[in-house]
Order: sequence, then C-alpha cells, then structure tokens
Amino acid sequence: MTSDNKTQNASDNGQTFTKRKLHPHVDLQIDRSWFDELQHRLSRNGPWDDWTLYQLAMEAEQAKRVESFEQLQCLRTLPSFEPMPHQIGTASKVLHEMGGRAILADEVGLGKTIEAGLVLKEYMVRGLVKRALILVPASLVLQWVRELNQKFGISAVAQKKEHTWGYDVVVASMDTAKREPHRERVLGTDYDLIIIDEAHKLKNKKTTNYQFATQLRKKYCLLLTATPIQNDLDELYNLITLLKPGQLGGQSDFAANFVVDKRLPKNEDQLQEALSSVMIRNRRGDGGIHFTKRFVKNIPLNLSPEEKALYDAVTGFVKERYDESGGDLTSMLSLVTLQREVCSSRDAVFLTLVNLFKKTTEDSPLRPKIWELVEKIKGITANTKAEKAMELVKEMNDKVIIFTEYRATQEYLLQFFRAHNMMAVPYRGGMNRGKKDWMMDLFRGRAQILIATEAGGEGINLQFCHHMINFDLPWNPMRVEQRIGRVHRLGQTEDVKIYNLCTLGTIEEHIVNLLHEKINLFELVIGELDHILEKLEGGESLEQRLAKVLLQSGNDQDLKRQLNTLGSSISQIRNEVKSSGSNPYSPGPDLLVKMDRLGQSVEVKP
Amino acid sequence: MNTKQIHKFVNRYLEATDCSIIEKSPAHFTVKLSPNADRELTNRPYYWSFVDRVGAEPETMTFLFVTDKEKYESGLQTDPDPAKPEAPDSQASAADAALVRSFGFINSSVNAPRVPRQDVYFGSQRLEQLFGAAKSHGSFVYLFQESDKRGGSPFSSTPYTAWLGVNIKVEFACDRKREEIHSFGVSLVTGYCTDHFHDRLLEIRLTPRLPANIHVAKNGISYAKAQAIIEQALERKLKAYDYTWAGDAASRLQEELDRIDTYYKTLLQHATDENKPAIQEQYEQRQAETRWQYEPRVTASAINCGVFHLEGID
Repeated sequence: MTSDNKTQNASDNGQTFTKRKLHPHVDLQIDRSWFDELQHRLSRNGPWDDWTLYQLAMEAEQAKRVESFEQLQCLRTLPSFEPMPHQIGTASKVLHEMGGRAILADEVGLGKTIEAGLVLKEYMVRGLVKRALILVPASLVLQWVRELNQKFGISAVAQKKEHTWGYDVVVASMDTAKREPHRERVLGTDYDLIIIDEAHKLKNKKTTNYQFATQLRKKYCLLLTATPIQNDLDELYNLITLLKPGQLGGQSDFAANFVVDKRLPKNEDQLQEALSSVMIRNRRGDGGIHFTKRFVKNIPLNLSPEEKALYDAVTGFVKERYDESGGDLTSMLSLVTLQREVCSSRDAVFLTLVNLFKKTTEDSPLRPKIWELVEKIKGITANTKAEKAMELVKEMNDKVIIFTEYRATQEYLLQFFRAHNMMAVPYRGGMNRGKKDWMMDLFRGRAQILIATEAGGEGINLQFCHHMINFDLPWNPMRVEQRIGRVHRLGQTEDVKIYNLCTLGTIEEHIVNLLHEKINLFELVIGELDHILEKLEGGESLEQRLAKVLLQSGNDQDLKRQLNTLGSSISQIRNEVKSSGSNPYSPGPDLLVKMDRLGQSVEVKP
Repeated sequence: MNTKQIHKFVNRYLEATDCSIIEKSPAHFTVKLSPNADRELTNRPYYWSFVDRVGAEPETMTFLFVTDKEKYESGLQTDPDPAKPEAPDSQASAADAALVRSFGFINSSVNAPRVPRQDVYFGSQRLEQLFGAAKSHGSFVYLFQESDKRGGSPFSSTPYTAWLGVNIKVEFACDRKREEIHSFGVSLVTGYCTDHFHDRLLEIRLTPRLPANIHVAKNGISYAKAQAIIEQALERKLKAYDYTWAGDAASRLQEELDRIDTYYKTLLQHATDENKPAIQEQYEQRQAETRWQYEPRVTASAINCGVFHLEGID
C-alpha cells in the first residue's frame, strides 16, 4: 500500500475497499475483496476454477456492460414486444433529462405502464435499481405483476404476506402499504425506485395517502396519472412537491406566479416551462383512438302467455305495495327489482320472492299474495329469452359473452346451455382470483360461452371475443358501459356486435328505449358517459330516478311521457358534452393548464 | 449478444460443466444437467441437501433450452416429429393451464421425464442465471501456458513467468451510469504491468496442469505489491479521463439541493413549533435522497482473477 494520505482504507462487513480522489467531484472506490480471496486460495493451494468458465464469466460481463450513459440498454432484452416510439422517447427523457423523477401524464390509452416498465427495466439493467416498490389500486396489482413479468421479464411479486416485502420488486396496493404492520416495513426501506399508479389519488395533501407518500424514502420516483389536474391547480402543485419540492416555488410563490383563481392559471408559458422538467404528457393525435366499429341490435321478444301473466301479476303486486306505503320511495326500490327480474328469468324472481316471504311475519296479509305469485311461476315452463339467446349463439358460431344482472339467471343459463350440450362457464365478482383466471382460460379455450354477472374489475379483458348478449340491462348506464368496455377496447381487431334482448310490453322495453335511443349509450365513446351523468345527477342516480318514474306514473301513457322528459334532458346534456369536447378519448381534454409542449402527439391504432 | 453468441455460450457452459447433451440443433439443446450444473441452475437446495445427507444417487433435471425461438419453432412445423413434448396449441395449453391450477402439475405422459422448455435470450432470467453460474465457478484460476515447442530437447527447460491477472469492471455513476472493463496483468518477476491482459490470454492455450520441461522464474515482487501496481495503473488511467459528466452531475445535485433549501426554509419559517421537527426530518430526508440520486462516483471491482504462468521472462 502506498502511504498516500488521500487514501482511506475501510473494512465493512467483510468487504475491503479503498477510496481515492480522482477529480474534485469524484472519488474512486476500489473493492479489494477479490485479492483477499485470491490470497486465501493461494495459501491453501486451491480450489481453482475452470478456465472455460473464467472466459464465460468475462464474456457475460462484456455482454452486459453498459457502454454509454445514453443509449437505452433494455430494448435488446425485450424480445416479446416492441414499445412504441413515443414510449421509448418518454423513457429516455425520464432517464436522461429528469434524473429519474417524473410525472407520466399521458392521455388514456398511450401506455403509461409500458413507459414506467421501460424506465424500471433500464435502471435494473444498469444496476441502478435493485429494490423497487410499485403502488397501485388493489384491482390493478395482479395486472401489473403480469405485465412486468411477461413483457419485461422482471420478477415482480404481488404483496400478499408480510414477508413479501423482502423481495426486490414488489407490487402492492396503497391501502395495504399504508396500514400497519406493512407501513413500518415500507417506510423503513430505502427504495431505489417507487412507482405510483393512478397518482391523481394523491392530489389532496391532507389525505393519509399523500402523507404516506411523502414519507417514503426513494431515489427515483414515477407518478402515473392521466389527469394530473382535475379541479384545482393546487392538485398539480401537490403532486410535484412529492417529486421535487420547490420546483414551482413555495406554495405562496406558486399562488402568486401561476394562479389567478384555483381553476384559472396565469403565465402559462412559464408554468409549462417549469413543468417540462418533471412532467411528460403525450396526447392522442387528431384521429383520437381508432376503435373498431360497434353494431348494436335490439332483439324484441314477446313473452309467452304464462310469462306475461306473471309479469302483470308482479306489476300489480308492486303497485299495490306502493299505494299502501303512501308514496314512500326508499322502501319500494327493492320491489321494482321484482319487475325487472321477471323480464330476466323466473329463477331470479323466485329467489327474491322467497326472501321477501321470509321477511314477512307469519300472519302478514302479504304471504298469500306472494304465494299466489309463486304459483304463477310454477306455471312457466320455458324461458323465451333463453331460447332466443341460444338461437343467436348457434347462429354466431363464435365466442360470445352473455351478461345478466342476476345470479339466479346465471345459474339457470349455465344449466340451460349445458342441457343443450353447449359449453358455458360462469364469471362473477365473488370468485377468487384463481377461479376467475381459470374461467378465463376455459373461455379462451374450449368454452364457447361466458356467462357473467360482473363487468367491473380488470380481470376480464376479452379482446378475443367480439359478440356480446345483454340478457338483461342494468339501469345504471355506467355498468352497461363497463360491459361494453370489456370487449370493445384497445386490442379488439374485429367489429363488435352487441345484442340486447328486450321483452315487449314491459319496463325493459322502456329502459332499452331510453338507454339506446335517448342516451345513445351504445354509440358513446368510452368516458363520455361519465361526463353526461356527472352533469345530470342532482344527488339522485339515474337508477333511482327511473324507479321513481315507474312507481309514480299512473298508467302506461303517463310512464311513457315521463320517461320521454327524462330522455330529452339527457340527450340535451349529451349534445352539450359532445360539443364541449370533454371526452377523455378525444384529443386534448380540458386540464385547466396548457400542456401541449410536454410531450408529443401520437396516432394510436388498435 | 445475438442468438448465435448465446447458443455458443450455452454450449460451452454445458460442456464445461460436463452436462450430457441429448439432442442439439443450431437453435436448441435438450440436455440432462450434470450434478454441478443442476445445483447451480435448478434452485433446489432442499433436494440437494437431502441427497448430500442421505448419500442418494442424484436425479438431475433435463431441460430443453431454446436459443433461437423462431428457428426452433419453424423447425417444429416442418418436422412432424410427434415425440416433441411441446405443442403450442393455444386451446390445449389453456386447458392444461386450467388443469394445473386446480390439480397441480400433471405429467402429460407418465413414462417420459418432464422436459421443461426454456427460452434463452438476452435479458431472460435463465441466461442471467447462466451468467451468474459462470461467474461463481469461474472467478479464481491458476494456470500454465501449454508449450508449443514439441519435440525439443528433453533436457532443455523453458523458463516461465508468473503473472497476476485481474479483470476489473469500472462503474461511472451518478443518476445515470456507464461501465468499462479493464484487464491488467502484472509480471510477478519484474513488476511490469500490461493492459488488455485477457486478450493476450485468449491467444494461447492454458492448462491447469504443470507442463513438462519448464521452470518458473523466481518471483521478484509480492502479490500485494502486484496488486498495488494494478491499482496505481488503474488510477493513473482513470485520472486522465474527462469528468465533465461528474461536474454536470455535481452541479445538478447542487441545483436540486438549493431548490430543496429554498422550499423547506420557507416552510420552516412559517411552521408552528409543533410541526417543525417533522418538517426538519422530511427536509433532511429529501437532501439525503437527492445526494443518493445524483452524487457522482466511480467504483472498481474485480470480475475475476488468477495466476497465469506464461512462457518467457517479462
């Protein structure tokens, strides 16, 4: 050893290394553990390793070597897919110009997950990230794990047990992470990279989520959101403070320099300039997203005389109860369900009647009336809708998903198709992850039909299927949209065909009419409906309004008129929304702040 | 690494570890691992500790390593060999996947041993593991040059020099990173130090056995001295580099620290006494994070090293 006074020796958990000054800004740190081991082996005359493996070890290092600061290394390690140019551009910008701390604010559908995956992979390849934490909404945990494993070859693990925190790359939900005992583990770890998806949930700094996020210890950090500002300029300020405190000055500087009113910015050019070093927002080109076409067909059906008799009896029953209650709506809503269920299947209505029966006291005058209805159910032998559905399925001769609102109808249909030697599998919200995946696999494989009661959740991406039957329709238009969204989404290469089974002379006819003709629900672009309903709702959901109209109207004429009024007010809002262009899938949704220079415009083709 | 290089790499690893290659094409290997390779690659520590304790005959695993996916799969289509264990029929595999989920793994044919297929491409976990395996058993060597002079006088003896050789990876890092690999050799006789030593080794034949009719010159310097010479050579070389990147990183770091200062100082001024400790803590945490993120540093560590006895006196 030289006695150079700039040289320090240190021994740290068995590793020996020295430090020397190379340049005013940089020390050279040399690891000497190799020499200790070599001397050890020399003193004991071995054991010695193989010359070929020695060469291979060197070749491996040469192959893995990160040649330059700039060039993206991870691209050559991703044989299974090819990122789009704007995604690569975004990843390089985060890596090279933003020091690895950024808000990825691309519009929906441009692949923020891919961009984040590229950044993570690149840092891992370069050995700059070993431990990473990915915080996402609970429903997206498994999707992230799958994407990272399949697309990027990153062995990410979904957080399940406490010991999972020991893995290098962990995906967890924010709600879990912020709770004890997890909280302590997470806050006690220095993460090389933290990714937070749906980061707009952090915009309010008073929330526990926000405070938790500020306490995380991290080197690099990515926040993903399509809507960095929704209502208030402070939201933007708070997000940026998580990444780079002071980037927009102190809170008062920010208010003085950039804010006129909480919804109105000023000095937008300077603001954009200040944002450009922490935020990237790519927009969809003028073409928006090119979806395949959507064909909607209503299939009108006449109920069999027995079914019609049941429907009329149930309608009478519901009206009677309503009149008895003296117009109390809240307790009546569940009764309206009865009417809807008759339109679906006798099994559904039977189940509800039985429950209703159980709830009444033994001497209740209702009991015989309910019993009467049950007797009517017994008279029904066939299900008009089910037969029509089977006819349609046979005609299509292709994969098809059938949605129903009711568990009982789902069970009935499963049996019905099975009895006709057609392979159908169920899908519902209550199933655990493994079972859901299994059902998906079966549907992708041998089963022709999937019968689902639930459209929400990310688990069902059915781009390989382009036929859909609405066995009955939910009254909540959002749920209808979710159903459509499962099939008609990016990656769907075929035109999508949607069939609505609609029984004539029932409330179903009115609902289908309202959703289809008035809201034009089936032709709306995904996301538009949100805006319409937001503007419509005055505290009451559309579902409640419908029930009210239904109960209050004296006769069919009256009902039609009232539904018409409701319909027209909705179509009016729809036209406003259309013209104001606040559809998130259309280019440039309204974000309060101009962000056109924070990214590029991308034409997306499915 | 392209598919050809990977294929060659895998081939050399399998041969060096005495694995028995059952079948191979330019696009794949079907191979029964040797016990050593199995220990290294299959991640079965419990199995191996059982074998070691009981002294049972180990049953090693057989793998299908596909080094060129496209070529291999197009070969499968033209070659109607039904014995091939994989049929990437989406329907069947989906059904199998479903069965596996509910019943656990089921051997499709009970008699044939399971041959899991693995695609080996650059960036795949399997190749990464092969890299690691090569390194863990290719780190320290002690070798002699095989003499080309055959049939020389049996009474003459060739002089050899012992060299300390080491391959070093140098990492230049701030919030970004690049790497270099250097290879130094120092003659233990004279203390002469040379660059690109590994390339020189690749041009000759080396053996772990002491060749006949040679004598190794007496070492003039100690191993420790040789190691110090290498470090000095490395340092001298690195000092001559351009460190603009480090200067840039340092100024970025300063800029970030200044920004944090302004933000938190204002915040502290207006904070109540109650809140101050929490803000102070966050302030210090942000400073530490920023240093961690940007501070420029150069680190050198050995990839592998050895003592090489080469012909001649240098």
